[in-house]
Amino acid sequence: MAAAKRLKRVAASQPGFLNLKTTLDSVDSSSSRRKRVNKNKKKNWNKHSDINDVEDFLEDVRHQERTTGGLLSEKSDDSLFFLDVGKPEKAEQKAEEVVVGKKRRGKTSRPLRIDLILQHDSLVPPAKDVLAYQQPNAKKLRRIAQKAEQLAAKGIVTRRQKRLANRQPLDRKAKKSVTEANNNPARDYYDIWGQESKDSSDPWYLQQTGKKLVKRPEKLNDKPSVLPAVEVIAPGGSYNPDFFSHQALLQEAHAVEVQKQKEEDRIERQLAVNQDDKATEDTILKEQVEGLVVEENDEETAPNEEEDDVAVGAIVLAEKKTERQRKREKADKMKEQQRHSERQQINQQQQLFQLRSIKASIKQQEEKTNQKQKLRKANQEAQKSQPRRLGKLKFKPQDLEVQLSNELAGSLRRLKPEGSVLKDRFKSLQKRNLIEPRERAKFKRRHKLKYVEKRAFREIT
Amino acid sequence: MGGLQKKKFERGSATNYITRNKARKKLQLSLPDFRRLCILKGIYPHEPKHKKKVNKGSTAQRTFYMLKDIRFLMHEPIVGKFRDYKVFVRKLKKAYGKTEWSAVERLRENKPTYKLDHIIKERYPAFIDALRDIDDALCMCFLFSTFARTGKCHVQTIQLCRRLTVEWMNFVIASRGLRKVFLSIKGIYYQAEVMGQLITWLVPYQFAHDHPTDVDYRVMATFTELYTTLLGFVNFRLYHSLNLLYPPKLDGKAMSELKEEDEDDYAMNSECYLEKLSALSASLSRVVSATEEEDAELDQFPVEGEDTEKMEAREREQKQQEAQKKLFEGLKFYLNREVPRESLAFVIRCFGGEVSWDKSVCIGSKYEVTDETITHHIVDRPNVDKQYINRYYIQPQWVYDCVNAKIRLPVEDYFLGVTLPPHLSPFVEEKEGDYVPPEKLKIMALQRGEKPANEQEEDEEEEEDDDEDDEEEEEEEEDDGGNDEEEETEEQNLKTMQEQSSQGKSLQVKVTPGKVTVENKARLEQEEKAEEKRLAIMMMKRKEKYLFDKIMFGKKRKIREANKLAAKRKAHDDAEKSKKKKARK
Repeated sequence: MAAAKRLKRVAASQPGFLNLKTTLDSVDSSSSRRKRVNKNKKKNWNKHSDINDVEDFLEDVRHQERTTGGLLSEKSDDSLFFLDVGKPEKAEQKAEEVVVGKKRRGKTSRPLRIDLILQHDSLVPPAKDVLAYQQPNAKKLRRIAQKAEQLAAKGIVTRRQKRLANRQPLDRKAKKSVTEANNNPARDYYDIWGQESKDSSDPWYLQQTGKKLVKRPEKLNDKPSVLPAVEVIAPGGSYNPDFFSHQALLQEAHAVEVQKQKEEDRIERQLAVNQDDKATEDTILKEQVEGLVVEENDEETAPNEEEDDVAVGAIVLAEKKTERQRKREKADKMKEQQRHSERQQINQQQQLFQLRSIKASIKQQEEKTNQKQKLRKANQEAQKSQPRRLGKLKFKPQDLEVQLSNELAGSLRRLKPEGSVLKDRFKSLQKRNLIEPRERAKFKRRHKLKYVEKRAFREIT
Repeated sequence: MGGLQKKKFERGSATNYITRNKARKKLQLSLPDFRRLCILKGIYPHEPKHKKKVNKGSTAQRTFYMLKDIRFLMHEPIVGKFRDYKVFVRKLKKAYGKTEWSAVERLRENKPTYKLDHIIKERYPAFIDALRDIDDALCMCFLFSTFARTGKCHVQTIQLCRRLTVEWMNFVIASRGLRKVFLSIKGIYYQAEVMGQLITWLVPYQFAHDHPTDVDYRVMATFTELYTTLLGFVNFRLYHSLNLLYPPKLDGKAMSELKEEDEDDYAMNSECYLEKLSALSASLSRVVSATEEEDAELDQFPVEGEDTEKMEAREREQKQQEAQKKLFEGLKFYLNREVPRESLAFVIRCFGGEVSWDKSVCIGSKYEVTDETITHHIVDRPNVDKQYINRYYIQPQWVYDCVNAKIRLPVEDYFLGVTLPPHLSPFVEEKEGDYVPPEKLKIMALQRGEKPANEQEEDEEEEEDDDEDDEEEEEEEEDDGGNDEEEETEEQNLKTMQEQSSQGKSLQVKVTPGKVTVENKARLEQEEKAEEKRLAIMMMKRKEKYLFDKIMFGKKRKIREANKLAAKRKAHDDAEKSKKKKARK
């Protein structure tokens, strides 16, 4: 670089050098008075020495380089001048026409003015970026590579390499699956029952750190109901049913409806106002004269008082037993006991002869208990298939899906499906005690709604 | 008497139960989360025997759980995930509120999710357990796959359900496991036999949804979440049991055939594969390239006399099944555009038939209407403009009825525009003496290989009458058993003897060359058996006899009722016929 600069300066100081700008001298002449300054300090040298001419000159050189790509004085004449032979009119016109035609046809993309301004127009080639070619730590790396080559040639594996080789491959897949949603349609499945759990870790460690899954109690695998998952509709529910099975289904549905109607009627009856409770003219009159007419009830109350007297007197009448009486009572009691025990003994002896009848009675009893047991068992079995009461609400069976005779479609094309499979599934889950029957939470308003008429509206009305 | 006073409700059943709210608080979960957890883990509420004891004296209706179950729930790792999710939602809300979009994105990327694999393994320790419980899963998945993608539930869930159900159907086709189909007004019931288990599922008709409001969609979605996982694992295992690739791959040959069409019209590239699979027209590729499967014969273990009968019955059944599996083999179906394509394609392919449809109906059609080799054209409209001579034009019910009857039924009853015979439920199994509708009797007769008596007669009505009469007679014969005939013949013999003796007072005494009486062994055996039975009845104790009489009475009553119904039916039919006749005149 420095060499090139010097060369340029030398070239510029030569007498044949041409200046691009010619206004240098006028600037110099204007500063007439020289200032006196001490020149024994470097600071003053820098401050007060006049270097404009040098700067201008250098600027000029740079300018030339930028615009022409070198010093004008060094350029050959051919590159600077050309022979003027007048206008080659025809050719130019044609070229122009072509350009115009192109423009009209479709606006060819012309660069924006701003882009033109910003374009790099200097003819000086950009300086080479040394850093771009440099490698950090190149020397060290080279040395390491050389050493590795040497070792490889000898067949020695370093410890570092060994460790690298031993390291387990990074499990990227596993990480990906963690973020994969459960309902990803492209998810993959594997043989979950075939492979045994591949826990390599210590079971004790797993247990202590709470990583081991707790064993599921066997009891939880029992189903809460014996009902099958899918209950097939009765044969009358066919899209093109047999006449009788269809009638049977209709009958069933009808019975259900009748039952419902009965229930409704019953409630209605219970809620109805009792005729006796209604006010009639009689009762109204009675109410009005209440307290005005006095009836005599003295006769009724009198005998009650007498009875009370008697009852009180009875307590008073209790008297003391005499010694004799007590003795006799005791003797009687003893006698009674004796007789009783004798009787019992005799009875027991007699039972020996009643063995047959006793046996019969025992047998009868056993039979009875057996029957009861059976009945109870049967009841329990029946209960198993019944929906249980699992919450506030009782299970309500779904309405039977039925098509009336005139609704039946003759062909599959005209079939109009009845009921909803979704509801059927939902009710089935409830029926099998898998979920409790619930009703949708009702929306509760915390504060009362306030209705305010808008002013605009109020003005109209 | 010293000691502390016993406190109430500190021992006994009160300590075994816990109310839902308490359980929820114990697990530190919100109610929806708690409900979800219970469904996923298979913990159901329990009704205590003595509610008042459990409920601390109150009789209010509450939902109870077993305390031990809840304790078990506390160990579940998913509980932690639920809590994480709660926090995630909170953070997300906050970020939204502050309009920090980069934070929102970052949170979204790290959304906490969970897997149910371990729960499946835990709840179904063996594959067969899972298979027994697959009914529910199938119903739910089929149901969800028909939902419109309108935001009632996640679109992804619907897609996953669709994929799983398509895989399941393809498996059933490959294993030829379908047994029964029933078109009901609710939906279509299918029953298939998979690894010895009978599996029933319900598929709704397409486009038939009105979304009921009294169904808790969140609960259903939770069940579906569990069931999709279960069904996926079951599918995997089933595919591998048949040496099929999983995820399913279409056969190379079939694939190339399908490729020729312009696929872009039907689906995007990403969906194309699933669509082709769901067309159900191509077979799947196997791990071991298709080798002809040898029909493995059932191993026979000779057992004592009694079991031979059972064995024979089993063998017969198996033969029947084999025959059923090849029901539609060699037939070529063409579906018109108005019939339910998926269901029919599924059923036909399950029994070895070939099926195709119009190109514009669905992807994966194999041949055109103009194909001369088509044997059955399924149509569900009163008439068709252009009919080809060498094929049957039938209504879709024929296919389903054939499957249920296990034979190819005569096509005449199912021609275009003909009033169809009723579609009977294959899930009803009549016991002895129950009323059997005549249509079913007809089918049973066909199954036995008997031809309906007067098929060739021109007059349809008479034909029908005769058929029915025959069947009724048959029925009666069956009921009475074979004894009467023998007695009758014997009596006749005796009578002739008597007559002979009365006519010619002196019997011609002649020596005729002796004939070898051919002893009918089977007949003798029967006689012997009948005799034994009679003796056994005679030898009964009074009590047993009473019981026996009761049973016989019940049977007879049933038969009587059945006869009554049959008579009613006949009267009904007659009335219909007379009506028709009048209308004709």
